[in-house]
Amino acid sequence: MNGLMLIARREITTQVRTRAFVIGLLITAALVAAVSFLPKIMGGGDSYTIGVVNSQQLPLHTAAPDIEFEWRTFADEAAAKQAVLAGDLDAALVNGSKVLTDGEIDTELGVLLQSVNREVRLGAAGVSIPPLEMVSVGADTRYEAARTGIATVLVLVLFMLLMGQIVMVAMGVVEEKGSRIVEILLSSVRPWQLLGGKILGLGVLGLINLVTILVVGLAAASFSGLAADFPPGIATLVIAVLLWFVLGYAFFATLSAAFASLVSRQEEVNSVLTPLTMMIMATYFVSFYVTNDPTGTLATVLSYVPPFSSMVMPVRMAATEVPLWQVGASMAAMVVAVLVVLKLGSTVYERAVLRTGARLKFGEVLRAR
Amino acid sequence: MLEINELRKRFAGGPDAPGGKVALDGISFTVRPGEMYGFVGANGAGKTTTMRIVMGVLQADSGTVSWQGGPLGYDARQRFGYMPEERGLYQKMRVAEQIEYFGRLHGLSPQAARKATDDLLEQLGLTQRRGDAVQALSLGNQQRVQLAVALVHDPEVLILDEPFSGLDPIAVDALASALQERCRSGVPVIFSSHQLELVERLCDAVGIVSGGRMVATGTVAELRAAEGNALRVVVRDAAPGWADGLPGTVTVQGDRHILRTTGGDDQEILRRAVKAGHVEHFGVEQPTLTEIFKEAVA
Ligand SMILES: Nc1ncnc2c1ncn2[C@@H]1O[C@H](COP(=O)(O)OP(=O)(O)OP(=O)(O)O)[C@@H](O)[C@H]1O
Ligand SMILES: [Mg+2]
Repeated sequence: MNGLMLIARREITTQVRTRAFVIGLLITAALVAAVSFLPKIMGGGDSYTIGVVNSQQLPLHTAAPDIEFEWRTFADEAAAKQAVLAGDLDAALVNGSKVLTDGEIDTELGVLLQSVNREVRLGAAGVSIPPLEMVSVGADTRYEAARTGIATVLVLVLFMLLMGQIVMVAMGVVEEKGSRIVEILLSSVRPWQLLGGKILGLGVLGLINLVTILVVGLAAASFSGLAADFPPGIATLVIAVLLWFVLGYAFFATLSAAFASLVSRQEEVNSVLTPLTMMIMATYFVSFYVTNDPTGTLATVLSYVPPFSSMVMPVRMAATEVPLWQVGASMAAMVVAVLVVLKLGSTVYERAVLRTGARLKFGEVLRAR
Repeated sequence: MLEINELRKRFAGGPDAPGGKVALDGISFTVRPGEMYGFVGANGAGKTTTMRIVMGVLQADSGTVSWQGGPLGYDARQRFGYMPEERGLYQKMRVAEQIEYFGRLHGLSPQAARKATDDLLEQLGLTQRRGDAVQALSLGNQQRVQLAVALVHDPEVLILDEPFSGLDPIAVDALASALQERCRSGVPVIFSSHQLELVERLCDAVGIVSGGRMVATGTVAELRAAEGNALRVVVRDAAPGWADGLPGTVTVQGDRHILRTTGGDDQEILRRAVKAGHVEHFGVEQPTLTEIFKEAVA
């Protein structure tokens, strides 16, 4: 166990000290923060500036709590007209009976002004109209946009992190095999310690990245006000994402180490990893599709099938509500898959990592002896 | 005592050797505590293969390796020091850090690893380079780091595959005395080398391998006795063919003819030499290891 920890620690310290890691982390953080602010900047938010001349302010904000209203009082109609033409005002209410605008009035604002004005007048006349009660008989769609957004970002983040870490695992394995460091290492630690330590160390680095992304993302979102649109249960989602990342990473990283142990030169890493990168790409595309159709049959089925489930399930969880038992069942299946892969992968790694030279074949190594 | 017993290893053949390649064909030898054992043999003789099997990085087809009377297992091997033929270090890792890391992997405490690293850097003349990345070092200096890695945990046995290749004469001496120091404290040291004078100078015992077989093994004195002393005659300005009919071999170096023989009538040889030209040297000599080696692998 001691050997495993020492190896994991070396992986972490060597990476953390490189400029690439630090810069990568900073860039990711900056990107995530930018993405969290983007909707606010792009959407511009709904807000109106309204001038009043010789009239009461209307309780517009009560009728439309999502919209900001700024009121300005003007001494006479001429001054208000000038402000409207200068673009300082979206509209000006004159004598409680006339609205000045520059061209056609914004539909939303127009409807609001008309209906609130009517309500106020009727109220003054003693007529009170109970507001219509809104009842949705379908699914809760309030957060649909936010959910889709979160799911899309999540797919991308999981995919990039997974891919990045897996290539690192492969390159590390080949570095040790090609330079024959394994010969010394394996005279002091066992193969599973070497393999486990590397996967663990690089996994921790991946988690550092993921946690940074989540923390920066959530912090920026609450700062920019974007978090107000987030669906409930975001904490559960964060925990689930971390768990799924760990599972997906364990699955793919073990395979990556096993494949990489078949070759002895860095130039061969890409080609030997091709089956694996294809699998990750497929998982990514499927998950991306799922962000658009999170309740479809494909999404539901694949969210149980390892290794697709490692990305499809968190995406489904972000994009829609998933019963807890489904998450549990899918996770159990993935854990079993990870165990199988650990067994196969470590066998191949153990047998292949000392056989330097020509590229070996996965199946042959597995069948040998 | 480290006993290597009847090791056999066949590598799967490629298209050019469909039957496979026999690398070891029943290698046996013994290394006693405190003994410096020189492992020599032509390229491809099987030295590296033997050492890899001893270190457990390669599996023998048959045969055993035993240490202190029992089969050599993983735990005991952890206390061995190993320098592989193909040097392997983390190129981007710093020198001192790397040596310390391997010390830790061999089970040293952080303090002990640091202490051992400092001592070794001092001993191998690397103190100034301790903070450099390995890739910034010259090949010879990388080799010293590799040695430090093999020595850091104060091993019970040392298995070094060509530790002297690529070292300058000063470094050779530093390494030789480092190894002798370990030997004196009872550590068996096995090293392979093609520098036979060095092996002759340093080793208590020598094993000569050829074609995967141990063709001669013993102390240098034993090997010499087995080979027998040789008569060496140097004649200048002799006509070619002067030694026809005499035993032994003649080599020509410029205008000098050198006759070497382990048998024959020395007085008859002397007479013929005097008649043939100017005799510069006539004497009985102990064979060098190089001569023993050439004889053994012939
Ligand atoms: N991985 C391998 N696959 C196939 N054949 C091998 C392999 N390793 C060694 N051999 C063969 O085994 C034989 C012994 O090789 P080995 O490396 O042990 O020789 P050596 O005595 O160390 O030689 P050198 O002095 O050149 O280092 C050689 O014929 C070599 O071609
Ligand atoms: Mg060799």
